[in-house]
Amino acid sequence: MVVIDAQALAKRFGDVEAVQSITFAVEAGERLAYIGPNGAGKSTSIKMLTGILYPTGGTATVLGLVPWRQRRQLAHRIGTLFGQRSQLWFQLSPRETLALLGRIYRLSGGETARRIASLGELLDATELFDRPVRTLSLGERMRCELAASVLHEPEILFLDEPTIGLDLVAKARFRDLILRLNEERATTIFLTSHDVSDIEQVARRVIVINHGQLIYDDRVSRMRRDLLRTRLIDVRFETPPGELAIDGATLVKLSGPGAKLEVDTEQRSIRAVLDDLLDRYDVADISVTEPPLEDVITHIYGQAPA
Amino acid sequence: MGGLTPYGVAFTRGVLRALSRPGDLAVRVGFYLIILIVTSALWRAALDANDGELAGYDRVALFWYVAAAQAAQLGPRPRTIEEVGDEIGAGTVAVQMLRPVSVVGLRIASELGEAMLRVVVAFVIAAAGMLVTVGAPHSTAGALLSLPAALLGCTLSVTAQHACGGIAFWLLDARATWFLWSKLVFLLGGLLIPLELLPDGIGNVAKVLPWASMTWVPGRLASGDLDPLLIGLQLVWLLIAAVLAAGVFALGERRLQVVGG
Repeated sequence: MVVIDAQALAKRFGDVEAVQSITFAVEAGERLAYIGPNGAGKSTSIKMLTGILYPTGGTATVLGLVPWRQRRQLAHRIGTLFGQRSQLWFQLSPRETLALLGRIYRLSGGETARRIASLGELLDATELFDRPVRTLSLGERMRCELAASVLHEPEILFLDEPTIGLDLVAKARFRDLILRLNEERATTIFLTSHDVSDIEQVARRVIVINHGQLIYDDRVSRMRRDLLRTRLIDVRFETPPGELAIDGATLVKLSGPGAKLEVDTEQRSIRAVLDDLLDRYDVADISVTEPPLEDVITHIYGQAPA
Repeated sequence: MGGLTPYGVAFTRGVLRALSRPGDLAVRVGFYLIILIVTSALWRAALDANDGELAGYDRVALFWYVAAAQAAQLGPRPRTIEEVGDEIGAGTVAVQMLRPVSVVGLRIASELGEAMLRVVVAFVIAAAGMLVTVGAPHSTAGALLSLPAALLGCTLSVTAQHACGGIAFWLLDARATWFLWSKLVFLLGGLLIPLELLPDGIGNVAKVLPWASMTWVPGRLASGDLDPLLIGLQLVWLLIAAVLAAGVFALGERRLQVVGG
């Protein structure tokens, strides 16, 4: 079932075309990374899909509703988390904020209390809920923000750079929580992030936009495999090889008995390069790796729109 | 709070928030009492120089006027317009729009919870002080009615300031509006001097303007003028302000420009 359907969606701010005619659909339960460089139009897209911004062109439905016309109806069914904008009331404790949100989402007092207790356990935040927001660290506050985003058990969770500013441990924990929400509640995840690990560990599908246009839409695993034709070979020789020259491979580093080579697989196959290496040199150990996803994304950002 | 609407809960939380900060409440009420003492001294001198009467106000009427008018203005935070404008200009309002409630309604309810508590506390303390130092008001009914009038004035002020703050949807800033607003309340609201002391033309026009309904009306009732039209005027302006605030936000939210995360 399609839960997000954007058709030629566009937004112009004065002379700037922030989003230019973007078309895509998202199925229920998907985990989508919606990425692009700064100013690509990611946040603007999210704001149109959540009803905050009116588009200047195209249309979109989210859970069958037109976001900017049925914003309040839609708000009952989606959750949002903006890493750079807090939704907690700073004058209230997180528990009070959650209680107020419970009333806003028309939950009974008992149901709100049950969900707050459940989220407290899930997020390991029960103790945090009673502390003033201003005394929480960023990681602690983000757990409370997430609780506020999912209290009403939304069908879609929009996350706009949710791990920005978090340390490595807090990021890993946050990603686990998102995955659990997706697995246990079948919540559709729509994620924007500049953190490659967020994309690798949370998303199954990736949409890349740049200059307001969609330039890539496929599975994360396929993006890495298909888009960058280079492979890295790490090789260790029994004795230092002296000069090292292999057809179709570029020497990246040579240090004693170790070397790193980059192979352009469009020019020569990995197998041929490996055969060459094994035939001509006394190899002790060898490994082939894919380039980091970060390089893949950098490569895509540099591409022209599809 | 089980049966309350989100707005009722926000209001109640506002009251509790003000109660949870007794220091803040004490400072505000203390400042109000200092202003009251200073202005009372000034008015006493003015009355003495004018045979004990100024534009129909004798000592009792004038002091009760000042107490009620100042109490009504103690409620709203002085820079509400600026705060509303800053939230819009900075895009913070975008997050509030993601809740299934009226952004402006929830904000006003929350503000009123705090503001009304301050008005009631200040009014009760000032009334007790007036009873001891000046004596009973000319009209007990008028003095009693001036408390709900002060609360209505406070509600009108908070609502109208949200309507004005909404100008930031177009200008991205409402600071200039705040400066103008504070001067209008001071002069045309009767906060500085009762409107009867202004030149006739200006005074008569000022009485039907919204700022008079925020301060002059509760003051006038406390001074002993039991004109029912005064409360009617407040209600009319409150209705207009509510429609304006809702309209400004409804239109403004359509043209909100939030760029970036």
